[in-house]
Amino acid sequence: MERNPEGENLEYGALEEVFEVPIGPIHPALKEPIRFTFQVRGERIVDVQIRTGFAHRGIEFMGMRQGRNLIQILYLSERICGICSVSHPIAFTQAVERAAGIEVPPRAQYIRVIISELERIHSHLLWAGVAAHELGFDTLLHLTWRVREKVLDILEELTGNRINYAIPIFGGVRRDITPEQYPRVWEAIRYYRGLLEELLDAFLRDPTVEARTRGVGILEPKEAEELCAVGPTARASGLRKDVRQDRPYLAYSDFEVKAITPADYGLTPVGDVYDKIVVRLLEVGQSLDIIEKALENMPEGEITSFPKIPALLAHLKKAEGEGLGWHEAPRGEVIHYVRLVSGEESPLIWKVKAPTYSNLLSWYPMFEDQEVADIPIIAACIDPCICCMDRVYIVRNGKEETWTKEELLRLSWEKTRRMRR
Amino acid sequence: MILKTLISQLLSRPATNRFPAKYMPKSVTGFLAKVKEGKAGIHPPIPAPPKFRGKIAYDREKCIGCQLCIRVCPAKVIEFKPEEKKIRMYVARCTFCAQCVDVCPVNALAITPEFLLASTDRLSPELIVE
Amino acid sequence: MSGWAIFGQAVVVLVGGGLVGLFYRGVDRKIAARMQARIGPPLRQPFLDLGKLLVKETVIPKTAVAWLFSAMPFLAVLASFTALLYLPLGPFGPVLEGHGDAILVLYLLAIPALAMALGGFASGSPLGVVGAQRELVMLMSYEFPLAVVLVAVAWRLSELGLAPAFSLGTMAQNPLWGAVGPLGIIGLALLLVSLLVVTPAELAKIPFDIPEAETEIAGGLMVEYSGTYLALFYLADAVRTVVMAGLVVALFIPYGLAGRLGLSGAVGDVVDLAFWLFKVLLVMVVAVTTVRVGMARLKVDQIARGFWLRITAVALSGLLLLVLDKVVMG
Repeated sequence: MERNPEGENLEYGALEEVFEVPIGPIHPALKEPIRFTFQVRGERIVDVQIRTGFAHRGIEFMGMRQGRNLIQILYLSERICGICSVSHPIAFTQAVERAAGIEVPPRAQYIRVIISELERIHSHLLWAGVAAHELGFDTLLHLTWRVREKVLDILEELTGNRINYAIPIFGGVRRDITPEQYPRVWEAIRYYRGLLEELLDAFLRDPTVEARTRGVGILEPKEAEELCAVGPTARASGLRKDVRQDRPYLAYSDFEVKAITPADYGLTPVGDVYDKIVVRLLEVGQSLDIIEKALENMPEGEITSFPKIPALLAHLKKAEGEGLGWHEAPRGEVIHYVRLVSGEESPLIWKVKAPTYSNLLSWYPMFEDQEVADIPIIAACIDPCICCMDRVYIVRNGKEETWTKEELLRLSWEKTRRMRR
Repeated sequence: MILKTLISQLLSRPATNRFPAKYMPKSVTGFLAKVKEGKAGIHPPIPAPPKFRGKIAYDREKCIGCQLCIRVCPAKVIEFKPEEKKIRMYVARCTFCAQCVDVCPVNALAITPEFLLASTDRLSPELIVE
Repeated sequence: MSGWAIFGQAVVVLVGGGLVGLFYRGVDRKIAARMQARIGPPLRQPFLDLGKLLVKETVIPKTAVAWLFSAMPFLAVLASFTALLYLPLGPFGPVLEGHGDAILVLYLLAIPALAMALGGFASGSPLGVVGAQRELVMLMSYEFPLAVVLVAVAWRLSELGLAPAFSLGTMAQNPLWGAVGPLGIIGLALLLVSLLVVTPAELAKIPFDIPEAETEIAGGLMVEYSGTYLALFYLADAVRTVVMAGLVVALFIPYGLAGRLGLSGAVGDVVDLAFWLFKVLLVMVVAVTTVRVGMARLKVDQIARGFWLRITAVALSGLLLLVLDKVVMG
């Protein structure tokens, strides 16, 4: 979509003025800092430039180079994102477990699955509320956020915190689900089962919501595939793409997760915002199914293979190797790569790829030829998590720099050569 | 229909929990000062679950000064006092992961359900545990 | 009536109108909050808001056309309050009865919208310009059905031989529901529906709040306004709500309570005034509050199309039915 400004003038010339509408980094439509610069003619979007990097915090650097040990980094990874605050630790623990050869007991795997599915419910409800707010429908925002309290209460009951649960640890989980907690989880599941129909009704059969979301922000299946969209963004375009289905990890192979597309709701996937609402709401139901199955078939046994933390620390210090951890976060696939060196407490490399990073490019086709009024909902429809995504920002002598793909490639070659030596 | 929801919500009580006071006090800090003096009561919060991760409690007598908690603390909350072989915790930095509670070999640390920790001074006596 | 008496009445109506407008804004916010299961602000919140805005600094952006930018809030307030003087107030006729007709009220209602649009253009902010463009599109869309409703009612009144037909006072004193046949009643109902739909549009409330559209253009034409100027727009908006709801009441539900209860004199007037205030509140809750919490914001083309095709069609068929009714009934 990028065109040079001179061509722009030639094309539209004096016909109608093209003016610039800056959205962000601080704007009511955005929940996190990012900047869109729209070229707008009347109400139509002609062009958009996206600039990221406002929320970069250097978390990987803090983990790799500031003398933290892996347990400390675990809690750092939890703080990459506030909403998917168990997704990052799950991916990170898996990466470290693969690198250090640590087994996870089945019960711990089930508990991780339960917590991450509960998180998916709360994240999708949160998103639904934000989407409603972007449409100016605050009643739905208040409704979804009120019912979201229930799942937060359950998470608080199971983990001790509403957000940043601090549950996974290398080799297992830190807290068991006790027998007296089961009824409360079951009660929450029943609550959401009863509520799901109401939510589907409120979102999908409301004439104004439909008017605002049908045919808006379309991501064609082909574009979704080419741009490597992940998570609900890809699934709404009809791609059956879900890490839990494609590369099952933890106990997910027990639950036979199938990626959900609007086709499961009897719709032909178009890839518009409406389809994204459909997918996310259906996934709430899917998560309920998974939690139910997990609770029913919960294996007995240990919840961690390293009950003693000093032993775990010693094992991790000796470990040498590399590992990749992945997880289907509520927004899509999150990947952590870790390389451990024997005798070092910090990892040599820790790399994070958050789902929004993959979905970023799908904004371009979605914004194409849309109206200014659609900007907030299209910006929100991939459920962007900017602080997850901002993994790199280049500033030199107080000036920001932009590096092209070729330069980055050259740099990574150089680094590989350096590390081989 | 959304109208049904609207009317039923109009007729039922608001979902909001009126915390910390039933009606907005003229000055919140003044109100909280009064609470401290026992002249006013806080409208009860939604109760915390039994294993809520709140402020960490420290049993000074049990502590053997092994410094394991300092090793695992992700936020560098804990300071070692070498002369006494005891620790001091700055709660203002705490992330409430309770990893130090898990690691303590003598159970000198424990979680409490206390969460009303907001303060204008990060070094106020309530935010330092020793 | 002497000039001084009119002046005295006008002062009472203007002050009262401002107070009622702000208070009703508080009621609107409270009811909206309760519908969303929230507690909501106290009823006096609009007064506090206004007071706070008045003591705040008023910033005029460097890029703005300063005189236009500063004149518009005053124009909006002036027009909104003047419209109050042409509004029948329950038992009392309009203060300026005979000094202007319903068409003038239409203009007075359009002026604040125009003032806001001009202020948006003058603010020099791209968001303000987008908002102002939207405001103008909206204005063009809803003015026509609004005019159709007024003309239809006035025409039917003139057919009854009542003059001046184009006065809101005459309209309020002669409710048409009893004067027309069944076809006419359907026609009037259609006119009422279109007027109720125009009401939130006129007041730029969700689903028609696109000129401000907080999440899209961050306040749109209001984005650069602050302090006193914003307070003036706020006040104008509150008063306009009363005027719009009062217009619906005057045209379609002008009935009093005192006659039915056998009250007369001062007591009857007080009861009727209270009843009128209640009717205004009711119209506001139905047409503004419930609608704004129960819908999403529409887009400018959807609004323009909706008004031009649907609402204008509804209003015109109401007019047609009134005419047919007259022809059939003779």
